[in-house]
Amino acid sequence: MSQATQELSADAGQLPAATAFLGEFWETADLPPALVFPFELALEEIFMNVVMHGSGGGQVPTVRLIIAADTDSITLTVADNGPAFDPLSLATPDIEADLEHRRIGGLGVHLVREMMDAVSYAREGGFNQLRMTKNLAPA
Amino acid sequence: MNVTIESVDGVSVALPAGRLDFGAAGPFQQQLEQAIAAKPKALVVDCNGLEYVSSAGLRVFLVAARAAKAAGIGFAVSDLKPTVKEVFDLTGFANVITICVERASALASVTKPA
Repeated sequence: MSQATQELSADAGQLPAATAFLGEFWETADLPPALVFPFELALEEIFMNVVMHGSGGGQVPTVRLIIAADTDSITLTVADNGPAFDPLSLATPDIEADLEHRRIGGLGVHLVREMMDAVSYAREGGFNQLRMTKNLAPA
Repeated sequence: MNVTIESVDGVSVALPAGRLDFGAAGPFQQQLEQAIAAKPKALVVDCNGLEYVSSAGLRVFLVAARAAKAAGIGFAVSDLKPTVKEVFDLTGFANVITICVERASALASVTKPA
């Protein structure tokens, strides 16, 4: 089991640092390169959600990233101390709409749900915690 | 992300290379809007060099497709890598944007007489 943690402020300028943190963990833990894409995507979507919507209380939240891998699965937890908000409560976007009626809102969370094997939300210790897991195929 | 814009027989071909994330989305959108404003016959985005796209990046394709339609010109996307194509497929974008396997077929589809 390997694990790494990083704390960042919920600022769009910190997205490259968040992505770099994930890339470093992938190399250190020697994880399958094909699996970095869904996690990079999930990290960006959830991190940017916090950046865009998490500062309602007037304060820029702190985001804590926790990535953990064992032989069966990889789990990324994105936690933030912004106002309580469950992104999984968002309505599923209409992915059948035509060009004129397409909306981007909600698509990020939709992609995360589609690409991960398990996604769950909890509010614990003043932090929103979104846990995203992908199972590893048996070697 | 780097973007090159070429002109092929009056069709503007944009070649984004690298990662189309939140940070890259704004500049890329501006470049596509400028390309459309120059009134080419059509706009093709050749994604052969595109390694990554998020929902912020998808939004740029949506905005460009609408702008092209409003300008009365064709718009198509080609050469999606498997990971990028998955994002287009999972969001249903493949149903509202013309996606071609390669640039040649994209050019053919945007220049064919209506």
